[in-house]
Amino acid sequence: MEAEDLYIKPGNHERGWNDPPQFSYGLQTAAQGGPKRAPLNKRVPPPQLTGSLCPVSRATPMIPFSPPSNPLAPPPCSMNTPLQSCLVAAPPISGMMMAMPPPPCPVVEQTHSASGQSESEPDVDDVVALLNWALAACRHTVKKQVCDDVAKRLKLFEDMWKSGKLSLPVRRRMNGLVQVCPVLLLSELKSRNWDAADEIHRALIVDHVNEVSQWMVGVKRLIAETRNLNPDLLHTPEADPIIDNRSTADSE
Amino acid sequence: MVAMATYQEFIQQNEDRDGVRFSWNLWPSSRLEATRLVVPVSCLFTPLKERPDLPPVQYEPVLCSRANCKAVLNPLCQVDFRAKIWACNFCFQRNPFPPSYAGISDVNQPAELMPQFSTIEYIVQRGPPTPLIFLYVVDTCLEEEDLQALRESLQMSLSLLPPNALVGLITFGRMVQVHELSCEGIAKSYVFRGTKELSAKQIQEMLGLMKPAASGPQGRPVAPQDPSATCRFLQPVHKVDMNLTDLLGELQRDPWPVPQGKRPLRSTGIAMSIAVGLLEGTYPNTGARVMLFTGGPPTQGPGMVVGDELKTPIRSWHDITKDNARHLKKATKYYEALASRAAVNGHSIDIYACALDQTGLLEMKCLSNLTGGHISMGDSFNTSLFKQTFQRVFSKDYNGDFRMAFGGTLEVKTSRELKVSGAIGPCVSLNAKGPCVSENELGVGGTTQWKICGLSPSTTLALYFEVVNQHNAPIPQGGRGAIQFVTQYQHSNTQKRIRVTTIARNWADAQSQIQHIESSFDQEASAVIMARLGVFRAESEDGPDVLRWLDRQLIRLCQKFGQFNKDDPTSFKLSESLSLYPQFMFHLRRSPFLQVFNNSPDECSYYRHHFVRQDLTQSLIMIQPILYSYSFHGPPEPVLLDSGSILPDRILLMDTFFQLVIYHGETIAQWRKAGYQEQPEYENFKHLLVAPLDDAQEILQNRFPMPRYIDTEHGGSQARFLLSKVNPSQTHNNLYAWGQETGAPILTDDVSLQVFMDHLKKLAVSSAA
Repeated sequence: MEAEDLYIKPGNHERGWNDPPQFSYGLQTAAQGGPKRAPLNKRVPPPQLTGSLCPVSRATPMIPFSPPSNPLAPPPCSMNTPLQSCLVAAPPISGMMMAMPPPPCPVVEQTHSASGQSESEPDVDDVVALLNWALAACRHTVKKQVCDDVAKRLKLFEDMWKSGKLSLPVRRRMNGLVQVCPVLLLSELKSRNWDAADEIHRALIVDHVNEVSQWMVGVKRLIAETRNLNPDLLHTPEADPIIDNRSTADSE
Repeated sequence: MVAMATYQEFIQQNEDRDGVRFSWNLWPSSRLEATRLVVPVSCLFTPLKERPDLPPVQYEPVLCSRANCKAVLNPLCQVDFRAKIWACNFCFQRNPFPPSYAGISDVNQPAELMPQFSTIEYIVQRGPPTPLIFLYVVDTCLEEEDLQALRESLQMSLSLLPPNALVGLITFGRMVQVHELSCEGIAKSYVFRGTKELSAKQIQEMLGLMKPAASGPQGRPVAPQDPSATCRFLQPVHKVDMNLTDLLGELQRDPWPVPQGKRPLRSTGIAMSIAVGLLEGTYPNTGARVMLFTGGPPTQGPGMVVGDELKTPIRSWHDITKDNARHLKKATKYYEALASRAAVNGHSIDIYACALDQTGLLEMKCLSNLTGGHISMGDSFNTSLFKQTFQRVFSKDYNGDFRMAFGGTLEVKTSRELKVSGAIGPCVSLNAKGPCVSENELGVGGTTQWKICGLSPSTTLALYFEVVNQHNAPIPQGGRGAIQFVTQYQHSNTQKRIRVTTIARNWADAQSQIQHIESSFDQEASAVIMARLGVFRAESEDGPDVLRWLDRQLIRLCQKFGQFNKDDPTSFKLSESLSLYPQFMFHLRRSPFLQVFNNSPDECSYYRHHFVRQDLTQSLIMIQPILYSYSFHGPPEPVLLDSGSILPDRILLMDTFFQLVIYHGETIAQWRKAGYQEQPEYENFKHLLVAPLDDAQEILQNRFPMPRYIDTEHGGSQARFLLSKVNPSQTHNNLYAWGQETGAPILTDDVSLQVFMDHLKKLAVSSAA
């Protein structure tokens, strides 16, 4: 999973009061399996009840509140420089206000325009050709009506891409999806690669459902049907009508 | 005897290993002494607690041969390895081992005899595996934006379902449509009127379903031989995903015009009755989830909650107390009957209700409460709250399996000195009578078995027991009592499994060993267990009666265990094992589980729904929210949920389970406004600002359902979410007594914890009491 696929979007505050932020599929699945930090579940007993203020149960001792620091002083600074006068007491400068929009939630924006493979704009023809190649392989065993249905959705996908209706993250992740498909490796079928492709499809539909909902199910079905195929079918020339487009995809 | 510190470890270890937390970890040896302890011998039990370190075994459990016992062989049983005989620790029956155990010896023991397997899970063969079933019931009386968001979420969910799961679609507005799903392009549906009540049989006939259940013996799976051929309404996702995606994409808003001043006609009652009838006729006793998505109250037909005249508002608490809620009883009865039918068949029902006004959760809640289904309540389907809550229904565990299980039954067996009083949780009674059943019911009683149609790893039941040993009788033989929990369920990978947990606790003489019993008290578990009893009572009794009952229990507990001189409140002290308990009760009294003020009937139903099913940690957060303080004075620390904790140079993070609040104190807010965090020399301030956000994110990523998220500061209008939860130790009434610089005064006339405690002490030490 690319770092750019791990992000948090603000919730929809127009439609839901205090709508929580939305986690991307990658962040969500990472959280499900990942190590948890120590849960915040400690409490302190009220001071007046027990004889002592000893910690009990999951509670830690109550530390008496330190007196509130002078509101005129800025926060203590690690560099220990004496802090100059009171910005706080002065009315906030409007320019500064503008410079710092309050973050509505712990937003990790998709800022940096990524590294590695995602630097280049993926080529629609490459992506579509690979998908069509897989579809052609399926036509031997899969019902025509299903294949036609998949073809219709791949066409829709291609049209949306070409007419600029797909965002860069979707285009990149679709490129990533076809890259992990073992069809392209033309070597052995590794189920974990299919799982990886399937996982990318899930991430795409969860994170970008409004862009991909109409055609993604075609890709999903294609992944499912292709992984059921006899590996030999992926090597026969007649299953490979687009072979000449790709010098690397030698089927012999 | 074990000391205090080790009780903490003991309690934690038992929760981690067995998913169980008992109110008392030493048991009073007589009935009379048990009643004097006020909090009953009881536990919170999480049947399917996640145990990554517990691989299931692939054989059948060995059962006691006594017909009315049938306890499972466990580490507490005495074994004669030479004679190949084991003695049941519950009924003392001597049983020969089955032939497959011929090779056992004291150095070659099966897992179920080893002490570390006090909890063990068996994979068993019970008939052919059946796929999971998901039946979507979709309200089309939605605004276009909501309907679009819902279409997308449903389309998305097809990618999250297991490919071989069966899926079905029912849509409703004024009419109810049951959609035939096929791989062919032609969409066909059966249309029902939303006003006419139909019997299960009529529904099945109209849908052209076979009638396999009619003559078959009850309680046996009678799924048709090739159900996918017989039921065109429930088809494997991998076969119909493309057509279903289109069908969902083309879902239109209910076409019937809605005149001005009217509500749309919404036939929720009939739609649910068809969903329940469809599954009942096709897949009884098979794991299935009905998922209702609705954007408003049922307005016509059986199960209607409010009429379609907008000028008649939906029932409020006021209407209910004045007996002025016209449809309440009838609708509730209608949905309860549906829920019972679903529960009998092992089917679970979820409700996803998104609307600004109430949607009838009060009347419909039993659909989920009795079947182990989820309830999610939001403002709109186009919110992150709904979308992510829905996604998380399909979340997976460390094995890549769905965190959902179906068709569970929980059976509880006890040693002779104990009987089972009842259970509170998302379950129904299976009316299994037997020697372990107590006559004194607490919660859902009169049985030793309950059905839990839908379970997650956090689903938690409260179970209540009665000590039946007579007073002055000797401590029972062996010195300890035992309880066995046997949970049979359908795993999400379609395997049938049985999880068995067997625990024991020492008996103690309550007269000579009261201090030991006191130190064995688990105040966290007890607070949740008593709170569940309170919430259970609140469903049928008046709020003030429940509060009085809780108060009385608390006073009695303090009388029993407090140290004090008679009539001297200032002398009153509680030991550490009870030190948090009164505070839990104080916050419970103020909670939406018992206070209806400021919460609609639907909201209360929603809050209570979650309260009686979550595990201990989450339940306790609901009773007394967690408050952490972030400052330059040290690492984040838990602070009193008290207005005194609201200080200018602190950031507070409050978790109420349903809401997460980050509150920036006055000074922090000013510094933030001034932008100090952007200056390199104030990097520590930036870190301080980020720390609670990171902690909040961790909670947000793991919580189900998704909580609301509030980022506010001193003087912000949203600060009220914090102010309404903290103990009002400083109010406008006593502000000057407290000085100005500490904490934040709350505008309230609510009783503070201090006043509450003063009253409690006075009553506890009173010789008149």
